[in-house]
Amino acid sequence: MESKGVSRRDFIKTVGITTALAATGTIPPVLYASERRLVTFPEKTELLLLTSSPPQLETPLKYFRELVTPNEALFVRWHLSNIPTSVDLDSWRLVIHGNVDKPISLSMDELKKFEKVGYTAVIQCAGNGRSFFEPPIFGGQWMNGAMGNVTWGGVRLKDLLKSAGIKSGSMEVAFKGLDKAALPTVPGFLKSLPLDKALEDDIIVAYEMNGSELPMLNGFPVRLVVPGWYATYWVKSLSDIEVTDKPSENFWMKTAYRIPDDPCGCVEPGGAPKKTVPINRMTTRSLLINPEDGSRLKSGQSIELMGVAFSGGYSIREVLVSIDGGMNWSPARLGKDLGRYSWIQWFYPWQPAKAGNYQVMVRATNSIGESQPLDGLWNPSGYLLNKIEKYNLIVA
Amino acid sequence: MKFIILLFISAALFFTSAALAGDQGFVKEGSKRSITLPAPNITLKEGPGRDVTSSYCRICHSLDYITTQQKFTKAKWMAVVTKMIKVYGAPISGENAKIIADYITTHYGIGG
Repeated sequence: MESKGVSRRDFIKTVGITTALAATGTIPPVLYASERRLVTFPEKTELLLLTSSPPQLETPLKYFRELVTPNEALFVRWHLSNIPTSVDLDSWRLVIHGNVDKPISLSMDELKKFEKVGYTAVIQCAGNGRSFFEPPIFGGQWMNGAMGNVTWGGVRLKDLLKSAGIKSGSMEVAFKGLDKAALPTVPGFLKSLPLDKALEDDIIVAYEMNGSELPMLNGFPVRLVVPGWYATYWVKSLSDIEVTDKPSENFWMKTAYRIPDDPCGCVEPGGAPKKTVPINRMTTRSLLINPEDGSRLKSGQSIELMGVAFSGGYSIREVLVSIDGGMNWSPARLGKDLGRYSWIQWFYPWQPAKAGNYQVMVRATNSIGESQPLDGLWNPSGYLLNKIEKYNLIVA
Repeated sequence: MKFIILLFISAALFFTSAALAGDQGFVKEGSKRSITLPAPNITLKEGPGRDVTSSYCRICHSLDYITTQQKFTKAKWMAVVTKMIKVYGAPISGENAKIIADYITTHYGIGG
């Protein structure tokens, strides 16, 4: 069912139509120009290679059987080719400046003097699942491995901003990391948050992932954590925080990472939005993790389906499972609750009585009633994917 | 009991090798952390325009940014190359932009 960490689902999407047809009798929605392979990058276990420079590495789904994703398995995604490959904490500083009373420059020791806080939160790339959109969308062809659930430790952004003193008339807070572009004409990577968002209690500057320092590829020595929001805001190797009195004109805010200004964040497939807004909170999702899509099972043998469910900062209230392609739905048992930013595991015992092909579907609903659409919603950049996924299990 | 011990040893070996795998290219010396990234290892398919495509695209990114895309039309690839020039300032002439879009569509795209 599995070879070298590539799940059957990954494998089917990777090697193309002929093999997939032979294996499951279904046509995958994606045809890649090339195969996907496993690679080992520094401080990382074997991950699926999307691109090598700037690196984009995807987590094989098997790691999501754990409630918390190990540091070495967390996905990697950088935008600019000169990523930080060396950081010396003796000289590294986090600078807070701009529309403030007193600009400050903090060493790691000084940063750690602020009160330490932490929680477990899902980190998910805005384009996670992009390869499943139809019609296809240009950009990183992520499957579902551009996500993870990590216990973050750090200091409140709010405490740092207050220590510098926010001047009246401030509008946004902008964040920059140590990564640099290959050409001076490429816009530097910058993300900004509205001031009221930046002052929320739960936004932290994290120096710990699962109790250890951050891997270089995940943003050593510190990264911004904006729980509930897509990872584009979670600026890696954060070094510069600027309070501004006007909205950002930077490419990465004004042109990139935007969604249609509509409650669904969607347009007609292939269409163009009239107006867009910066991407923000994550949509509600649920996935089957074990057994993997395409697995073969024995009739009469009882198993437990297992997966994860999460939403943009609201607890998951219910996960429903269908094993007959959406005709009948039953609630799954939910696992340990690590708080509203974490994903929750769901479990569903099942004993297939007779042989055949079963289509499994999963649907989560959060505490404010947000759920998942049956058919995918489309937008031009391939963000917010949260359609109810369909998995095939073969019982023999 | 022997079985359990054996299981424990094999599990320990598995996790040790998994932990070691990621240590390649990572150095921690006092206050300093350094990594060495593996070199990109992609060769584009033989054909007219390959060298132009390879030399310009590689200025900013590895060539798997081309090969891992889905199959797109020539119009789409031309729009992508134009974005590279207009938005990111890639120093590609109009003539070379056409060569690049032609090459990618022929070998990694769809349609004419």
